[in-house]
Amino acid sequence: MRLRRLWRPTPLKRHYDVIIIGGGVHGLATAYYLSRDFGITDVAVLESQYLGFGGSGRNTAIVRANQRTPENVRLYDEGLKLWRVLTDELDFNLMFFNCGSLLLGHSEASVGAFRMAASTHNFMGVHSELLDPRQCAEVIPGLDISDRPAFPIHAGLYHPPGGIVRHDAVVWGLAKGAAAHGVHIHQGCEVRGIDTDRGRVTGVRTSLGDIGCNRLGIMAGGYSSAIAAMLGIELPIHPLTIQAMVTHPLKPFLHHVFSSTAYHVYANQTLKGEIATGAHMDPQVNYTTDATAYYLKHQAEALVDLMPALRGVRFMRIWAGLADMTPDMAPIMEGHLGYDGLFLDAGWGYFGFKSGPVAGKYMAEYMATGERPEILEAFQLKRFLENRYSGETAAVMKYGHWD
Amino acid sequence: MVADAGAKTGGGLADRGSPDPSVGRPDCRRPPSHGRLPEGRLPPGPTCRVDLSQPLEFSFLGRPVTGFAGDTVASALYASGVRIFGRSLKYHRPRGLYSMEGESSNTLMAIDKVPNECAETTELKAGMSVRAQNVRGDPQTDRFAFIDRFDRMMPAGFYYRLFHRPYRLWPLFQNGLRRMAGTGVLDPRRGLEEGIRGEGGIRVEGGIEVEGARMGSDVRAERYLNAEVAIVGGGAAGMSAALAAAERGLRVCLFERRPWLGGHLVWRVRDFEGEPLHRRAEKLAVRLRAAENVKVFTSSPVTGVWGENLVTGFTSGAEGDLFRECHWECRAKTVVVAAGCMERPLVFNHNDRPGVMQVGAVWRLARTYAVLPGGVAIFSVGDDLSLEAAADLADLGVKIRAVADAREAVRQDAALVTALEERGIPVLAGWAASRVMGRKQVKGCELGALKGEASRRFGCDLVVANAGMQPRIGALATVGARLAYCGHTHTYQPVELPGGVFAAGSMTGLRDPRAIEASGRLAGERAVESCGGSAPGPDESLPEPAPGCDIRHGPDIGRGAKAFVDFDEDGTYKNVVESAAQGFDVPELAKRFGGFGLGPGQYRVAGQNLAMIMADLRGDPVETATPTTVRPPLVPPSLATLAGPGHDVHKRTPLHGELAARGAIFRRAGPWLRPRYFSEDTSCRKEIRNVRRNVGILDSSPLGKFRIFGPDALKALQRVYISDMRKAPRGHCKYSAMCNDMGQLVDDGVVIREGENEYYFTTSSGRAGSTVEWFRYHTRYDRWDYNLVNLTDVLGSLNIAGPNARRVLERVTDDEVSNEVLPYLGCRRITVADGVEARCLRLGFVGELSFELHVPSSYCQFVWDLVVEAGADFGIRPFGLEAQYCLRAEKGHVIIGAESEARVTLTDIGMGWLWDCGDTAAKKVGAPALRACEKQPGRMRLVGFRVDEGSGSPRDGAVVVDGAKIVGYVCTTRRSEALGWQYGMAMVREGVAVRGGRTHIRQEETPGRGESCSATVVPTPFYDPGGRRLRA
Repeated sequence: MRLRRLWRPTPLKRHYDVIIIGGGVHGLATAYYLSRDFGITDVAVLESQYLGFGGSGRNTAIVRANQRTPENVRLYDEGLKLWRVLTDELDFNLMFFNCGSLLLGHSEASVGAFRMAASTHNFMGVHSELLDPRQCAEVIPGLDISDRPAFPIHAGLYHPPGGIVRHDAVVWGLAKGAAAHGVHIHQGCEVRGIDTDRGRVTGVRTSLGDIGCNRLGIMAGGYSSAIAAMLGIELPIHPLTIQAMVTHPLKPFLHHVFSSTAYHVYANQTLKGEIATGAHMDPQVNYTTDATAYYLKHQAEALVDLMPALRGVRFMRIWAGLADMTPDMAPIMEGHLGYDGLFLDAGWGYFGFKSGPVAGKYMAEYMATGERPEILEAFQLKRFLENRYSGETAAVMKYGHWD
Repeated sequence: MVADAGAKTGGGLADRGSPDPSVGRPDCRRPPSHGRLPEGRLPPGPTCRVDLSQPLEFSFLGRPVTGFAGDTVASALYASGVRIFGRSLKYHRPRGLYSMEGESSNTLMAIDKVPNECAETTELKAGMSVRAQNVRGDPQTDRFAFIDRFDRMMPAGFYYRLFHRPYRLWPLFQNGLRRMAGTGVLDPRRGLEEGIRGEGGIRVEGGIEVEGARMGSDVRAERYLNAEVAIVGGGAAGMSAALAAAERGLRVCLFERRPWLGGHLVWRVRDFEGEPLHRRAEKLAVRLRAAENVKVFTSSPVTGVWGENLVTGFTSGAEGDLFRECHWECRAKTVVVAAGCMERPLVFNHNDRPGVMQVGAVWRLARTYAVLPGGVAIFSVGDDLSLEAAADLADLGVKIRAVADAREAVRQDAALVTALEERGIPVLAGWAASRVMGRKQVKGCELGALKGEASRRFGCDLVVANAGMQPRIGALATVGARLAYCGHTHTYQPVELPGGVFAAGSMTGLRDPRAIEASGRLAGERAVESCGGSAPGPDESLPEPAPGCDIRHGPDIGRGAKAFVDFDEDGTYKNVVESAAQGFDVPELAKRFGGFGLGPGQYRVAGQNLAMIMADLRGDPVETATPTTVRPPLVPPSLATLAGPGHDVHKRTPLHGELAARGAIFRRAGPWLRPRYFSEDTSCRKEIRNVRRNVGILDSSPLGKFRIFGPDALKALQRVYISDMRKAPRGHCKYSAMCNDMGQLVDDGVVIREGENEYYFTTSSGRAGSTVEWFRYHTRYDRWDYNLVNLTDVLGSLNIAGPNARRVLERVTDDEVSNEVLPYLGCRRITVADGVEARCLRLGFVGELSFELHVPSSYCQFVWDLVVEAGADFGIRPFGLEAQYCLRAEKGHVIIGAESEARVTLTDIGMGWLWDCGDTAAKKVGAPALRACEKQPGRMRLVGFRVDEGSGSPRDGAVVVDGAKIVGYVCTTRRSEALGWQYGMAMVREGVAVRGGRTHIRQEETPGRGESCSATVVPTPFYDPGGRRLRA
């Protein structure tokens, strides 16, 4: 097998047509689609660390399209169908494991919420099923459906189209694809300022020098609001740490993703055999990406209550990433944000990975044409000014300080 | 939490039930009972910890094996001749003992059906059933062993390039890959049958019986400690630090992962200052055990040192000790990290063959476990300690053909070289192992000069190899120390430590035992200083850190043979080169692409080697190499131990026992357990009917209950409540709501003015816990003078509802409760029976005549008994949350979360009438948002609907559709016996919310099996729209 670099080192030019800040799934996907679909190849992706350093490399790789509102279901459903297409296009195995996901509900109210989700999905042609506890245990043997757990299982929302993807492979595959179309990828290039002139974005100041551009995309995950703040743009985004961990590898026994709202856990078995599992977010706004002892313990408590067989398994690694939370758990995808040529794709919270390629596809269209694609109508910044939340979360959320 | 036993001497949990193994040793020099040395064993020496007179029978692959008390599973297996402990992940290569520290997956085994147990460190117990992992058939003849020959097809990242063309074949490959991956086998149904079923739908009795049923099988403990000084590592440095701090009166907790103290000195017999090193360590341990203020925890690995100096770990104790598996956390003012060193693996061809071991493993097999590690050995090492080991092992009868030392001669300890030469062992300076011969076991070894072409071959059955020492940096790295490559020791050394954290001992590069102890003492004194004590005295002049070894790999690397950088995922030197060639040329990327340090060994095995090799490949100086991030846990804890005994934390009302006795089926409601049903009939027909026709009683104690008083109490109420609270008259319940900044409904309840600047108010039960903070937050800049008291747990609440409610109440009080004195929304204090003071609120949530009695929690049961007795003639019966949910829905009353959501404001759900929109002076929370979207088009609305008869029966969550669009969803819908039809409330787009309009409702719980029905938008309330019943 001939081994070639997936992306070649390129010289840093003094000017690009398009600069994208953030070498994660979103930034690379945008660059890939810009170069592939719109012939815009004078593009640089700037990454302050290494590709996939941020959320793209820290998530638990779960992909699904069983969101709450039609606007979101539509977007994620298209995204879900892209894994297979991209695997072919990029000639890079993204290892989409189409195992399906099972969301567990622990109250009478969750049954109604799941019925609403299933009815919405099936109406839109996205496969979802409302399961009773016995059916849940048939899908995932080992779940404790007795009344012993602190939060007994009342219902399940089974979503066969979901699964997991090898998250790093997506980053590398998109980098490979973008580079093949002429996109420049610069790692270790930290953006420290943004230049504007008469209402237009004109370039960025970086740790490797100033670079000019005509269009700028901020797609830096948890760091996006800090970068927007360089231009005095305040975004309704709270960066919170979210932690994940893996156990020692085991032979396959968990054949689906499962998650639970009451326990704040989600888990799946990777192709390598580890149980990868994630927790709820830390309550304090911060940029540390520090893991905490609390979550290691919390996660164990939750998992062994849900699936007692996991008592004998050991955690071997915990890490944390940033979730850029908006008040309604839906993203902000904007163009000409205060300045001509300034584009933003942020606020994905903990949905940033599953949405990466599809968001990049439409952000590329937005950046190339200057016209907002219809599918992105629901994700404008102005909805917060108009107090029109997306409805992606039913509960009134609180991040950091009150609201 | 576990009570401390043996307060003075601390006593690690391990110590119970066995002679204290951490002070000195049990007397293991007794000969075996039958007088003959068992096969594979050495005569027990002075450092031996195995008692050869106490055989333990266990099984390996179903075959009986004999070990001895004090053995680990691995030492017993090795002594009995087992060399192949398992097969590797990718290539199915045979793997055996390597470090005796459990640093890789080589010796992870299934023990008593628990997968991935570390055989090298797990204490042997009689009756254990041990199996090898990742093996098809016998580990000797694994059926997948052939895969090893196909490595050319599997370069780094091969799986990203293969298997996806054509895509339809990928699922086949994927399932094949899954089956090949993983190591241990877990039965997912294990433990399900052991669960304990509670009564009445949820576990309600968490007491002794339940815990007792679990006792002995799988019980776990937890311990939470505080100390001025926490010490990671119980070697000479850690013990010295502990003594230094304890002597100055500080509380010290010392954590040692091995079952005994002394670190690497305990198996060394070399004389130092007139006595053997192990004696020196034992003496220190005895002093430590006798010291005041020190708690010593042995068999207690540290899993991480976290922010604010939180040290966590677990203890694995002796058999028969019910506290044996314990998770602990220690919040310390200061932390001394004296974690010692591990050997850096030497990367050379076939360095993974069974029989290739690190020095410590071989030395400890012989000295600690009295196991003969091999007959003929070759050493390829990089430090003086290894030279000492070679001489010692030669004295124990291992024939050593040669010792290759990767260092130049000038860097070696001349005395040790002389000692080896006196034993007839050639020392080859500047040489290292280049290749191992033999497949299932070492048969020979080739040594080569690191400079030049010279090489020599030797026959042997043991290759002892390392690339020198590397510090166990885990604890320092996780606590946030900055580490940098040190060109003298060729290790990563801390260059910047967080406050209150100190490093000491051999991990700082020291090798001289006196220097190690002194560095520990100094760290202890610095900890004292950091806790406010005086500064340490001047440093003693002691030997500096010894120079280290910078070898990257053996000669002739990768020539068609595999040289492993990572054992867990079979990452070879060639794979590192391949990763770099594909652009993954920094350790963090190579780690993820090629799989170096992602398995059970984590950063420990691959970390430093990967960074050094990558620096070479990039042509960078080694000083610039950055190893991959260290991530906790530093030692993997089991989920059972982390989870502890289980915490089902919930609140119970004062009437919990009463309700349980009456057959309540409990559910969690926020922090509370509350009765949802009183029978298996989840439609609650009888409960509902009884409230509508007779009288029911509800335990509403979780209701939030508050008293607010002080000169500015009204101002505070005006701020957080959306209505004009000045209009709350005395003796009257004012119903209102709280919004958040977005105008979303967050709480509702009643406010009662009870006196001058004195109010009593209720909140929804789920919100009670947040209320005080909510008031404080929203009045934080105003300097208002008011007091807010949470009475939620102090007062219980009983709701008596139904047409006969007044008649029941009249029987238990002499106070007047007529409609004139206590009309709808009235409130007065009454005396129940002979002296229980109660607030009596006339409310109508369920739509009937109803009284809510707020009485002190301690009187709840008494009042309940009175009311139930008085109501017997009227057919009183308790009702639960589901009945209440239906009863109020018939009235169109909203429950937050059920008929409201984040998308809608107070106005959207039809409660805008509560808002005192004229008042801007009070700065009501949420008012600006309400104003902004008051007249906004296109908002969602809450509407009532009536399902058209015969068209179907939708359920909660069905969606409202308009052609091909979803325009809303059903929040709540029930068939009402009182109404005779199915009613519901739905959240819909504006256009749908037209009274009399027809809507289409659709539910599809399973694809293809959808049901549709039609409904008509009708006004609420559905039941008793005039409100006559609640005003009766």
